[in-house]
Parts: sequence; C-alpha cells; structure tokens
Amino acid sequence: MGDYETLELILEGPVAWLIFDRAGDGNAIDARMFVELEDAWGRLEIDEDVRVIVNTGNGRSFQTGLDVRQLASNPEALRASSRQTRDFQLRMTGWHCGVTKPIIAAVNGTCAGGGLHFVADADVVIAADTASFVDPHVSVGQVSAFETIGLLKKAPMGVVARMALMGRHERVDADRARQLGIVSEVVPADRLRARAGELAATIAQQDPGTLRALKQSLWNALEVQ
Amino acid sequence: MSYEHLAVERHGPVGWLINDRPDLRNAMNSAMRDEFADAWTELNEDPAVRVIVHTGNGRDFQTGVDVTEIAGDGVGFERYRESMEDFDVHFTSWHQDVWKPVITAVNGICCGGGFHWVADADIVIAASDAQFFDPHVSVGQVVAIEAIGLMKKMPVEAVMRMAFIGKYERMGPERAYELGMISEIVDPPEQLRERAQEIGETIAKNSPAAMAATKKALWGALEAGLTDACKEGAKHLVSMWGHPDQTEGPAAFAEKRDPDWETI
Repeated sequence: MGDYETLELILEGPVAWLIFDRAGDGNAIDARMFVELEDAWGRLEIDEDVRVIVNTGNGRSFQTGLDVRQLASNPEALRASSRQTRDFQLRMTGWHCGVTKPIIAAVNGTCAGGGLHFVADADVVIAADTASFVDPHVSVGQVSAFETIGLLKKAPMGVVARMALMGRHERVDADRARQLGIVSEVVPADRLRARAGELAATIAQQDPGTLRALKQSLWNALEVQ
Repeated sequence: MSYEHLAVERHGPVGWLINDRPDLRNAMNSAMRDEFADAWTELNEDPAVRVIVHTGNGRDFQTGVDVTEIAGDGVGFERYRESMEDFDVHFTSWHQDVWKPVITAVNGICCGGGFHWVADADIVIAASDAQFFDPHVSVGQVVAIEAIGLMKKMPVEAVMRMAFIGKYERMGPERAYELGMISEIVDPPEQLRERAQEIGETIAKNSPAAMAATKKALWGALEAGLTDACKEGAKHLVSMWGHPDQTEGPAAFAEKRDPDWETI
C-alpha cells in the first residue's frame, strides 16, 4: 500500500500499521497528509482482513500537529481545515473517522500540539522512553481545545490543564505519562514497534464483533457528562 | 482593597491571594468568605495580573469552614443554607468566573472545605509537608461540592476513600502526585512560594487571550460529554481567529524574541 506520500501503510496479517511519514518535518500534518489520513483510516476500516491498527511515526517525532505554514500556502486546504475545525468535523484521527477497530498509538518521540489528538483518540497508548508530550498552542497565540478536552476525559485534569497552560515551556516525559495513565507502557525506543506489534497480535486474537461492541460502549461512556 | 482575613499581593505578572488567618489554620469564617469574592474579582480585573497563585500564611493552607464561628453564635450552618441550596457561592476562582490561570500552592494541611481550592484551580502544586484529608463525615457533615469537583478531575476511588475515611487517614503529597491531584511536589517546603512564582512567570509568557479561551474550553469539558465538549471547545478555539496574538505568536517565534501579547 505505497500510494500515499505522507503516510506509510503496512499490512501484516490482521495488524495494519498507519505510520506518519514526514520525518523531516516532525511528521507534521500538511495539506497532503490532511487528505491522506481520512483516506487511510477509511480504507483500514473497510478492509476485513484488518483487525487492529497501530499508529506510529517514522523518524524522531511521533506527530507535531498541523504544519500551519505549509497549510497556509494551500488556500483550499487551509479553508478545509478551518471549516472542519470550526464545525468540529475533523477527519484526522480514527475517532474522527468513525473507525470501529482497536487502535494502538505507539508514541515514538515528540508528540506536540495537534499530535496529542492521536493520543487522546487512541484506545491503547504505549510510548518509547524517549517520548515526550507538549502542547505549545498558547505560546504561539493559539487555543488548545480538542486534544486537551479529549485527554482530560481520560486522565487527571490538573496535569492536562498544566500542559495546556505551560505551552512550549514544559514537557511531560514518558514515565510521568505512564504514571498518570496517559500511556500504559514505556519501552526502550528500539523495542517500541516490536512491543506494539505483540500487543496488536494479542488483541487481534479476540472476536472482531466483540471488540467492536466493546470499543463502542466504552467510547459512548465518554459521551455522558 | 484591604482585607482582614486575606492578603493580596502582586509580584510582577503574578497576583497572589493568600489565606491570612494563620492562628486558625486559615479556616474560613463568613467574613473571609465574603472577602474571597472581592479578592478574586480584584485580581481578575487587574490587567497587570496574568496569573494568580493561591496559598496560605502560616503552617497550613486551609482547613475548611471556621467551626468555632459555627458553634459559637447560635446561627450555625443556617447562615449558609440559602446560598448552598441555590449553589450561589463565590469563594473560589471557578465560582467567580476567573479566566486567568490559577495555581493553588498547598502548604501544610489542606482538609475539608480546603479542597474547594484544589478542585477549582487549574494547576495544583504542594510543599513536601502537605497533607490532605476530608474530615466532614467524622464530624457529622456531608461532603459534596469539593469531592464532586475532585472526582471530575482525578481517579474517583481516591476521592471516595478520603470522603468515607474522614479524619482517620491522611494522604501525603507523593500519593497526590501519583494520582495527578497535584502536578508537582516542592521540597524543601520553604521553597513553595518561590516555585509557584516561577511557574506563574512561565505561564505569563503565554498569550493571555489564548489561555483564557483554553481555560473556558477545558472547564466546559467537565460539563459535557466528549463530542459536545469538543463542539463547545470549537467556539472558544474559533474565538481567537483574527486576534492579534495569533500573528504575534508565530512572528515572535520566527524572530526569536518574546511575544508582545494583547492585554486582556
């Protein structure tokens, strides 16, 4: 499945890998990735051979959010992203795209700003010991909303609010993220993909219908105040 | 304004609200309760204040309502009946719609009603000698509002345990940190204020308007389910579009200088 420019898609039996592939730019989401993400999630959802999806990044960063400068040079993409943001009709994560299969985020390095979408919206999150989490929005005059709202539904609010208000001036490291339950496991960086693959294979042994029902009921619980 | 039971100070961009009844472990009598409303509003409306730190004078942060006043004048808790029934209360930053970042810095004991300011702050740090417990049920009282606020923000079992065990067990700062109830332990305890000021000054480097909108989005999320919270959050997010800080932020970053934010 090599027809994406900004993503790498690998199928290994029941496990699909959706890998951010703009390593030179911190895997930031440019206009192209913006479109390709929606397409890729949709494709993995309808592919009956795929039972579990692992989401990770190539290079040193996991995901660093919207590549605003690149997006600004593409008026059509900018308009689309603005519209989707305004109406909360984003199509970047599995949750946005209505994916019903289990998603494991394997955070391989820096996860910044909009990158936190993919942590908040995954079912299981593991991280390399080199991973870190930072939300620079307010340091550049931007509001932090969807990502931190999603995180605070799943982790203690005080630490999420601190991350949102400290902006680029403070990072949460992998061990603290594990302690807080933002991630469930920290492994040496060179073991991350192997471990994510093991977890995915374990989950993939379960009945897909059961997994779908389970995922739906748990995420529905977050919809109740 | 001047206050009898609180101290209000300003250090650079950081406004300080300090509980000031140290001989009574900063317990809140009705006069102090009224002063809180004014003090939060004063700091919120001062454009020079970008971040607010709340702490206590003396050994302890806060120990809830002043029971000697309650027990001493025959009026008892009846004085608070109407405001509690209507939930028309004004002693925390959340009650007072403060949209500047609020840091609670817990020194010593925080118990009972003291949890109001843990639950209602954005960021909570504590000195290494801090202790948390909730004695309400041990003295025949119901704990509701403080515990409800905490449950929205941290693992629920720990809150329930404190509520039911009452005065017979205390939580130390290490456990509070593990649970995410606080985000930092300051050791030695004497450095608590210095560290709170430092965090305040760091936060003051960020866009005040963006932080206010972020704070509204996050606190709004406690009132709604995930999708509804995101839809509400979108309104706060979009409220910054076209704001001068949105161009100033990236420009300052590119030019490697401190941003010159709009005052709110």
